[in-house]
Amino acid sequence: MRVTQGTFSFLPDLTDEQITAQVQYCLDNGWAVNIEYTDDPHPRNTYWDMWGQPMFDIPDAAGIMMELAACRKAHGHLYIRLSAFDSSHGWESVKLSFLVNRPVEEPGFRLRRSEGEGRNIRYTTDPYSTDRPEGSRYQG
Amino acid sequence: MQEIAHTIKGKDRYRSGVMEYKKMGYWEPDYEPKDTDVIACFRITPQDGVDPIEAAAAVAGESSTATWTVVWTDRLTAAEKYRAKAYRVDEVPNAEGQYFAYIAYDLDLFEPGSIANLTASIIGNVFGFKPLKALRLEDMRLPTAYVKTFQGPATGIVVERERLDKFGRPLLGATVKPKLGLSGRNYGRVVYEALKGGLDFTKDDENINSQPFMDWRERFLYCMEAVNKAQAASGEIKGTYLNVTAATMEDMYERAEFAKQLGSTIVMIDLVIGWTAMQSMAKWARRNNMILHLHRAGHSTYTRQKSHGVSFRVIAKWARLAGVDHIHAGTVVGKLEGDPATTRGYYDVCRNEFTRQNLADGIFFDQPWASLNKLMPVASGGIHAGQMHQLLDLLGEDVVLQFGGGTIGHPMGIAAGATANRVALECMILARNEGRDIVREGPDILVEAAKHCTPLRQALDTWKDVTFNYASTDSPDYQTSVTAAA
Amino acid sequence: MSEALIRDTETPAAAPAGTVDLRREYEEAGVRDVLDELDRSLVGLAPVKKRIRETAALLLVERARRRLGLAHETPTLHMSFTGNPGTGKTTVALRMADLLHRLGYVRKGHLVSVTRDDLVGQYIGHTAPKTKDILKKAMGGVLFIDEAYYLYRPENERDYGQEAIEILLQVMENQRDDLVVILAGYADRMDRFFESNPGFRSRIAHHIDFPDYSDAELLQISVGMLERQNYHLSAEAEAMLARYIEQRRAQPHFANARSMRNALDRARLRQANRLFERSTGPLDAETLSRIEAEDIAASRVFDQKRPAAAELTEETR
Repeated sequence: MRVTQGTFSFLPDLTDEQITAQVQYCLDNGWAVNIEYTDDPHPRNTYWDMWGQPMFDIPDAAGIMMELAACRKAHGHLYIRLSAFDSSHGWESVKLSFLVNRPVEEPGFRLRRSEGEGRNIRYTTDPYSTDRPEGSRYQG
Repeated sequence: MQEIAHTIKGKDRYRSGVMEYKKMGYWEPDYEPKDTDVIACFRITPQDGVDPIEAAAAVAGESSTATWTVVWTDRLTAAEKYRAKAYRVDEVPNAEGQYFAYIAYDLDLFEPGSIANLTASIIGNVFGFKPLKALRLEDMRLPTAYVKTFQGPATGIVVERERLDKFGRPLLGATVKPKLGLSGRNYGRVVYEALKGGLDFTKDDENINSQPFMDWRERFLYCMEAVNKAQAASGEIKGTYLNVTAATMEDMYERAEFAKQLGSTIVMIDLVIGWTAMQSMAKWARRNNMILHLHRAGHSTYTRQKSHGVSFRVIAKWARLAGVDHIHAGTVVGKLEGDPATTRGYYDVCRNEFTRQNLADGIFFDQPWASLNKLMPVASGGIHAGQMHQLLDLLGEDVVLQFGGGTIGHPMGIAAGATANRVALECMILARNEGRDIVREGPDILVEAAKHCTPLRQALDTWKDVTFNYASTDSPDYQTSVTAAA
Repeated sequence: MSEALIRDTETPAAAPAGTVDLRREYEEAGVRDVLDELDRSLVGLAPVKKRIRETAALLLVERARRRLGLAHETPTLHMSFTGNPGTGKTTVALRMADLLHRLGYVRKGHLVSVTRDDLVGQYIGHTAPKTKDILKKAMGGVLFIDEAYYLYRPENERDYGQEAIEILLQVMENQRDDLVVILAGYADRMDRFFESNPGFRSRIAHHIDFPDYSDAELLQISVGMLERQNYHLSAEAEAMLARYIEQRRAQPHFANARSMRNALDRARLRQANRLFERSTGPLDAETLSRIEAEDIAASRVFDQKRPAAAELTEETR
């Protein structure tokens, strides 16, 4: 399967040139770009691990791309996303977020159903990858 | 049309009998509205022979303290404060016999946080008043002090995006079709296919409640199976607007509670339930961390005609105060009423932190929003993937684009229709962010993206010539020489 | 070098295919504007200006060669600016960033000016993120490292400066499209720095030496500085300032234009005190704007009897 979180997941994976253009768009809007990675793609896993802090006051995308290259070197077998933060009043949250790296194999999610009374069902979504302990997932 | 005041002062003002409204203090051309006043702009069409100033004063009177005759009991009150004051009357450009009347209301006239109370005054008795042929509430300025007494959208655009983990693009939805007749089990199939194919939301239609062909519980149970299954298939958060509209508040609460218990992120209501019910549901939604979608069913009965009723921009303002999270606000390019400037005005009312007066877009007043959450506009009705560049350009990215027919009507099926819409959207956002001119290059961008997406190619072929070009019945009347009150 | 940058400067009526009109490109890229601005804003510095004109010509030709497919690699553009303090290195670096931007060699054209303290950390693990932070901010523009030799402290084996040097060298080599580095400082110390760090020497293509200003140039610079603040010198004061320059140059910590700026700041202070203490009636604009000889003569630079003059810092002169 293909995890379709993030803004551009229905397109072919973005090239570095395409990523650079999106990053530049964020920087030109005055947003700080953050790099995050995870081995737990659960849709409600909000807090991915941060690769350093959100990068403020950077005029050119090359700076972000340098960090992305470093993050890929360390975590190239995992999910990596870029998120852009807008600090202006009335938003103060993420403005754009998209995947820039994904594992070669994406095993997807198991949907668990536990049947209750009155035909009520409790649903739980489990990434197959999290069957293995943190740090040893997506090792091929 | 600035006239002198006619107000009779002293004890003559309260002599028994009938007196012209403009003499009773409802016409005060020198009045300067206070920062705390509620201001309304009405389009009035007086009966033949009726003085427009008197008509404006009558609207002020009938929407505040007046009755048809002088009453001595006024003298037991601070009547001059409570009288609404018409302070300005302008001829409507290019519309003979119509006038814009500006009326200021003291804040003490209104109960805090109650749309029901506000509307009972402003659009109460006055709309049936005989000396007027027609009356339309064009816009209102709601002062900060009053705005602050309302909850506002239960969730708001920012938090909705945070909960859904979806940023930087419009959200995509589809209304399940046919709107009536599907069993719960078949209904859920449509939901699953559309969500799995790439939409973020599906939606009940306005008149799907609990009918012989499908009990509401059946719908909710099957829909949530579909939502959870699509979520697991995509790794993305999905939702479906479960319509909880019902005959009584008790029924609505019961349905909303059930939706929550099943793990839905969102419920929906119809405008026809009324303002009090909407406010109750908004408070319920805030308490229960749910998004509240409003379908504006019925609004066209009073928003569409230019001379009589209430402009939708006012409905949008009330809805933002009342506290819903989504509101249908027009598409411009789709099958339903809406000219571009007027629609832009509605979207501004929903999404701005501060809405500036903009007569070209039909916005008569500066409107502070006092940090009330933003209301997500929804574009729905006759739109398809081939219009993506226009939709994005006209409506921006904080909007839900609902492709009902444009998803379910796809020749290769519902999931293919959903995928086509999602790919069209993402390629357009990508191109826009890259600095390309999407209005001009849009069709090429879509064709290019369709090279790696067969469903999009099929969608473009199927709907390439579908447009709805009819003259709009409601567009702003203004001339650059006319200045509205601030 | 991305194509987008080259596209920027393309014009509808360009030279026929397969040819290049250098004169036209010179005008259209705005190179002339930058050089004119340089001429206007900087007094003297003839050899520096000449070197920059040559560099501009080289970059223009290089760009044309790339367009015609004669060159492919991004040329090495890193530079060293050597000279004494106050000789205009930072100002020229700003213009250079502008020039590189107009010619499409850097995308943004901003200048990030740093010293050792901005790059090197205080504890283990501090330096790499610090250096990278600066590099990220400078990308798309020019990184100006003043007194770059302080990065290298051979006397301390565990100095974190070495870590910064390694990161800098790597980026200077691998990201020539993204960043131009200018190292600046005294000529002799820079020479020694390059001797011990051949990595830098081999990555720097342009060396520009900034000579000290002549006495006449310093006087002209001073007059210009005052004019920009709506002050002027009386005839006696100008003569006094000329004497001041002669004397000041012979004393320690002389920093060319910077010393002049400091001297003038103090002269304005003395002028203000003089006016405040001695004036009795209303003062006109002329009086408020005029620096007199005594405002300069009071400087301790003239105080030859004080043997301690050599120990005075720049601040108290």
